[in-house]
Amino acid sequence: MSRTTPALAPDAPPILEQTRGAISLSGVGRSFALGRGRTVTALEELDLEIADGEFVAIVGPSGCGKSTVLRMVAGLDVPTTGTVAVEGRSPRELARSHRLGVAFQEHALLPWASVRANVALPFRLAGRPVDRARVDGLLDLVGLAGFEGARPRQLSGGMRQRAAIARALVLEPDVLLLDEPFGALDAVTRRRMNKELARIWAEQRITTLLVTHDVEEALFLADRVVVMSGRPGRVRHVHQVGLARPRDSSVTRSEEFHEAVDLLTGLLDAESPAP
Amino acid sequence: MSVPTARAATPARPVPARAPVPGPHPAVRSGVSTTAGVVVLLVAAEVLGRTGVLGPSWPPLSDVVTYLGEPARRETVLRAASATVASAGRGLLAGVLAAAAAAAVGLLLPPLRPGLDRLAAILHAVPVIALAPLLITTVGREQTPTVVAGLGAGFVMFVAFSSGLGPAGRASTHDDVFTALGANRWRRLLRLQLPGAVPTVLDGLTLAAPAAVLGATIGEWFGAPRGLGVLIVSAMQNFQTTLLWSAAGCATLLSLAAYGLTTAAQRLAVRRVS
Repeated sequence: MSRTTPALAPDAPPILEQTRGAISLSGVGRSFALGRGRTVTALEELDLEIADGEFVAIVGPSGCGKSTVLRMVAGLDVPTTGTVAVEGRSPRELARSHRLGVAFQEHALLPWASVRANVALPFRLAGRPVDRARVDGLLDLVGLAGFEGARPRQLSGGMRQRAAIARALVLEPDVLLLDEPFGALDAVTRRRMNKELARIWAEQRITTLLVTHDVEEALFLADRVVVMSGRPGRVRHVHQVGLARPRDSSVTRSEEFHEAVDLLTGLLDAESPAP
Repeated sequence: MSVPTARAATPARPVPARAPVPGPHPAVRSGVSTTAGVVVLLVAAEVLGRTGVLGPSWPPLSDVVTYLGEPARRETVLRAASATVASAGRGLLAGVLAAAAAAAVGLLLPPLRPGLDRLAAILHAVPVIALAPLLITTVGREQTPTVVAGLGAGFVMFVAFSSGLGPAGRASTHDDVFTALGANRWRRLLRLQLPGAVPTVLDGLTLAAPAAVLGATIGEWFGAPRGLGVLIVSAMQNFQTTLLWSAAGCATLLSLAAYGLTTAAQRLAVRRVS
């Protein structure tokens, strides 16, 4: 059932140190009180190790607790049972030392601040002087050069998400957490954003956890794809993505990619038998 | 809608849901209708006064204007008005500061929050008329208008500050981002809660400013040495109907001006903050 993959496959990026997991969840369970003594179990006995510099995507049906996993790694939620550790410490500690980058489905940019001020926000929250060159360099990297002075409401949805991702990357975090960052975008913009994220990630190689319900997005971006089953959420299958990097859109037309999409899409359906 | 013609046999083009309405800009139209409303009210007041159906206590509006045309009388009303404006201004400032301080205490010491809410509600529920003797013996006749204005404005501002700074005031994703980025309480207050509270606080100010004018006028009833409230009481006791209406009209204009100014500030801020 809850199959774990402690070791990486040999075709994983070779530059990585693979001895210890950057993110480690062991025996994690989470239940929520519904009132009147009733509880619902969102996650049960979940084990997951993510290596340093690895990109892992979690896919699952809605309500399977995949966002809860991400929130626990971000220190925004705590497990009822089991432990969550990031670099051997509690997630809260990592957040407090400003080593975490996050982007959610909602961009959560400050509406009263310019794009540049929004991307510089992590510097201010960390109490560090703003590295203007770093901020402008990142804005350039995410394709927002020329929009530094714009307000979030003047930007398109895709541009707002790019600004949110730039904000997540600006402090060169140890861990990047992405919760459906392109979930609210149309299919075309989403594909383009995926390509850009793959390009940006290739330059930075940050340990990344992506939560999505889009199997193609997960396969295109990740080194490993974790398929979760719902209620209570468990790891149903872990798929090692063998696609070579750097990946571009030609990858999505390969036979291997389509087979993987079919396999994982099938697994998302709770009724289908396990492989 | 387009009128059906011979060409209607071809598939009709979809009509835009919000077709541009011909005519002046919406802001201009709203200004025109507001002015029309005011003119109708003024004309009605004048006609009622002229016919005398409401008795001698309802003079025609033009009598009030003529009355104020005389420099000495105008001087009296304006002197009273400036005293009321000063009391209302001081009261508004004191109310805003006290409300901000109380809201800050509630924010920094959450266990005290429910108690502060209840205290504010109780203070607001006590009728001013019951507080008047207490105020006159404690702060004196001179300062009572300021205190009454401060009480009225302070409650509204306390509610505005509390809801603006409270957890319901912001989308929780912002809070999540700030937590994940390791923001401490002070930086969260400075960079998220305070800027986010600006529209709500200014919303409160549009209600608090007229409330301060009203509070100062009422506070003056309890024996203040000068002000529009004093003028209203003495005009009433001496059957000086026109003077009474002049003072009341002046108080109304002050309230409207306070509302207009704060609303303009609020609109400006909302445009800046959202």
